[in-house]
Amino acid sequence: MNNTINRLVIVGGGTAGWLTAGVIAAEHSCASNDQQNSFELSLVESPDIATIGVGEGTWPSMRSTLQKMGISETEFFRECSASFKQGTLFTGWQTGVGDDSYSHPFTAPHGYAETNLAPYWQPQRDKINFADAVGSQTALFNDKLAPKQITTPEYAFHANYGYHLDAGKFAEFLRKHCVEKLGIKHIKANVTGIKTADNGDIASIETDRHGTISGDLFIDCSGSRALLLGQHYGIPVCDKNDILFNNTALAAQIPYSNDSDPIASCTLSTAQTAGWIWDIGLPTRRGIGHVYSSAHNSEERAAEELLSYIATTAGEQAAAAATLRKVPFSPGHRAKFWHKNCVAVGMSAGFIEPLEASALVLVELSAAMIAEQLPANRGHMDLVAKRFNDKFLYRWDSIIEFLKLHYILTQRNDTDYWRDNCRPASIPESLQEKVALWRHQSPWHRDSHHVDELFPSASFQYILYGMGFETKASHTVRRSDAEAQKVVGRLFQENAARAQQLSGNMPSNRDLIDKIHSYGFQKI
Amino acid sequence: MSNYALLNKEQHKDLRIITQRGEAYGDNVMHAMTFALEFRDVQSCYPIFFCKDEQTGGLYPTALFGLEQNHNQFLNEFGWDATYIPLSVRRHPFLIGFQSAPENGEGQKSPVVSLDMDHPRISRAEGEMLFDDKGDPSKFLQTTITTLENIHRGLEHNKGFIAAVLDHELLESFTLDVTLNDGSAHQLQGFYTIAEEKLYKLDGAALGALNANGYLQPIFMAIASFARVRTLIDQKNVLLNG
Repeated sequence: MNNTINRLVIVGGGTAGWLTAGVIAAEHSCASNDQQNSFELSLVESPDIATIGVGEGTWPSMRSTLQKMGISETEFFRECSASFKQGTLFTGWQTGVGDDSYSHPFTAPHGYAETNLAPYWQPQRDKINFADAVGSQTALFNDKLAPKQITTPEYAFHANYGYHLDAGKFAEFLRKHCVEKLGIKHIKANVTGIKTADNGDIASIETDRHGTISGDLFIDCSGSRALLLGQHYGIPVCDKNDILFNNTALAAQIPYSNDSDPIASCTLSTAQTAGWIWDIGLPTRRGIGHVYSSAHNSEERAAEELLSYIATTAGEQAAAAATLRKVPFSPGHRAKFWHKNCVAVGMSAGFIEPLEASALVLVELSAAMIAEQLPANRGHMDLVAKRFNDKFLYRWDSIIEFLKLHYILTQRNDTDYWRDNCRPASIPESLQEKVALWRHQSPWHRDSHHVDELFPSASFQYILYGMGFETKASHTVRRSDAEAQKVVGRLFQENAARAQQLSGNMPSNRDLIDKIHSYGFQKI
Repeated sequence: MSNYALLNKEQHKDLRIITQRGEAYGDNVMHAMTFALEFRDVQSCYPIFFCKDEQTGGLYPTALFGLEQNHNQFLNEFGWDATYIPLSVRRHPFLIGFQSAPENGEGQKSPVVSLDMDHPRISRAEGEMLFDDKGDPSKFLQTTITTLENIHRGLEHNKGFIAAVLDHELLESFTLDVTLNDGSAHQLQGFYTIAEEKLYKLDGAALGALNANGYLQPIFMAIASFARVRTLIDQKNVLLNG
C-alpha cells in the first residue's frame, strides 16, 4: 500500500489532457528530462478520436499557467490565434429591450482591497453604470482596445487580461511544448481495456498499439465519455439541468469581412428567448454560438436566432454561408472526481454552459492541485483525493450558483425560459439566501469562505449591480461614513482619470495583435 | 514630418549643411540611440541605458543627455559642450538606406545616402558645402558618409549585441529617483540597465562567446557609464543655481 507514486498516465489528449500534463510537468521534472529521477508522465491519446475543441475563452489565471510552463507569450499568440479577453459584455439580460447591457471586467473595482465603493455608487446609479463608476477596464473593451502596449513585457499588463484562443490550435501547441520541452511521453493508441489491481485500483490500461501501460495514478481526460471514472468506475453524474436549463449549443465560425476589422477585447454574451449567444473575436475569425435549453426552444428556432445575430453583426452573406455544428451536453458534474487511483479533469469531471468560461480554469485549478499535492505514496493518495473531492465539489457548486445568479435577477418576462429561471424551485437555497442578504449588504470580502474562492465578491457586485439589483442603504448613520466619504471621492476621481489615461494610450486590440505577430513581446 | 530625398550631385550641388549645435536644429533631446561600437567614447561623457522602441517594443541602447524630456543639459549658447557626440546625433539630416543592386548578385543591396529636405540644418546660405566646385564630394560629405557607414555597422552589431544580452538575461528594468538641491524630484522610467549580478555569474564559456563577438567590452563600458549619472545630476544642480 505504500508504493511511491512515480508513474502518471493521462488518458486523453485534448486541451484538458495537454494542459494537465503541462501544469504537472512544470512542477515535477520528468525522467526523460532528468536522468536522476524516476518520475514519468505519459499521455495516451487516441489517434482516431477528434478533440471537441470547446473552451475558447480563458481567465487571467491562464497567464501564470502558461508562464510557469515556460511558454513564450509571443509564440502562444502566433500559434493559437490568440487575442486579449478583458471580461464579458452582457447584452439583453436585464430587460431584453433597447440599450440593455452591462459588463463583468476582469479587474476588481478601484481600491477594492480596502474600500467597498458599491454603497457610494448606489446614489448615482441613474447617472453612471456600476462598472464604469468603479473601474477603468470597460473604457478599454467598449472601444475594442488592448490591455497593454507592445513595449509592455510579456504577461505583464496595464489592465488585467485572459485570452480568447483557437482551442484546436491550443491543444496542438501545448502538445508540442509538452513533448519537446517538458519531457512528457506521448503515446498514440486506443484504450481497449482496463486491468484492476486487488485493491480496486487501476493497475494498467490495455491499448491496441502500445500494449499494456501501467501507472500509479491515472488522470482521466477522455472527455464527457469519462472512460475511467465514468465507464470503468461508474461514478455517476449529478445532473444540474433543474438549475441551469441550457443543454444544447449550436456553434459557427464566422470570418471577418475585412482583415483589418476590429477585434472585440471581451466576450460578447447576448441573451435570446431561451438561451444566449456567445461571440468570441479571434484575429482570424469570430467564434459565435447559441447555447439554449432544448426544453424551451426548438433547434430550428435556436438556429434562426443565431443566424439572425450573425446577419446583424457580420452581414447577410456571412449568415448564408454559416455552417452550424450542434453540440448537445448534460449540465452537471461527477459525484466525485478522484476515486481510487483515478482523477478526472476536464469534461470527464463535468460540463456546464460557458457563460463565465469556467471550463479551462477548472482544468488549470485541478491540474495545479494535483501537481502541488502530488501524493507521495498510495496511502497519502486517499487523503489528497478526499481534499480534492471536497474542494472541487465546492467549486462546482460555486460555479453553478454564480451562473444561476445571471438569470434570476432578470426583469425579462417574455418567455417561459426566463420565467422558469426565476422560479424559486430552480434556485439553490444557498443562493436565495445570499440574494436576500445582499438586499441589506453588498457582496464583500467577508462573503468568501475560502482563500481561493473561484469568484471573488467583486464578481458578484458586477453581476448584481449590472443587472440593476438594489442593496438598501444602511438603516443607521454609520460613524465610519464621514471618513470613508473622503477616500471614496478620491477613488472615484482617480478611477475616472485612469480610464481616460488608459483609453488614450492603449492601442486597438487588432493593432497590438498584429505587432505581436511582427515583433513579439519582450521578456522584460 | 521628414521628407527624404536621395542625395544627388546635380540637384544638391548648392546645398549647405549647418553644423552648429542648438535647439533650433533638433538637438534639445533627453537621449539618443547609440551603438555598442561607440560605447567606449559615449561612456566618457554620458550614461548609457537601454530603452524600448515605442512602435516595435525592441530594445536599443541610448545615451542620456538630461534628466527630463526635451532637455539636453550639454547644450548651451555656444553649442554642445562635450568631447564626444554620438553618431546618431551627428548623422542629421542624413540617413543611410539600401537599394537593391542586382549587378552585385542576387539579394545584394548597396547603401545609398538620403537627406531630409525639411530638416532645419539644410540651408543654401550658410554651413558646409556638400560638393566642391568640380562636383566631387566635399571633405565634409566624405566625413558624413563615414559616419553613416559606421551607423550601418553599428546597427548590425547592435542587433547581435541586444539579442545576446537578452539571451543571457543581462538587462533589467530600473527607475532612477533624483532629488535636486532645490528639492525638486525627478523620476526616470522606462529605462533598462545591465544586471551586474547576473553578468558576474556567467561562466567562462558564456563570457568567451560574448567576448568573441565583441559584446563583452561594451557591456562593461555600459556599466562604467553609470558613473555619468552623477555628472548629469551635478550639472543640473549647477544649472538650477545659475
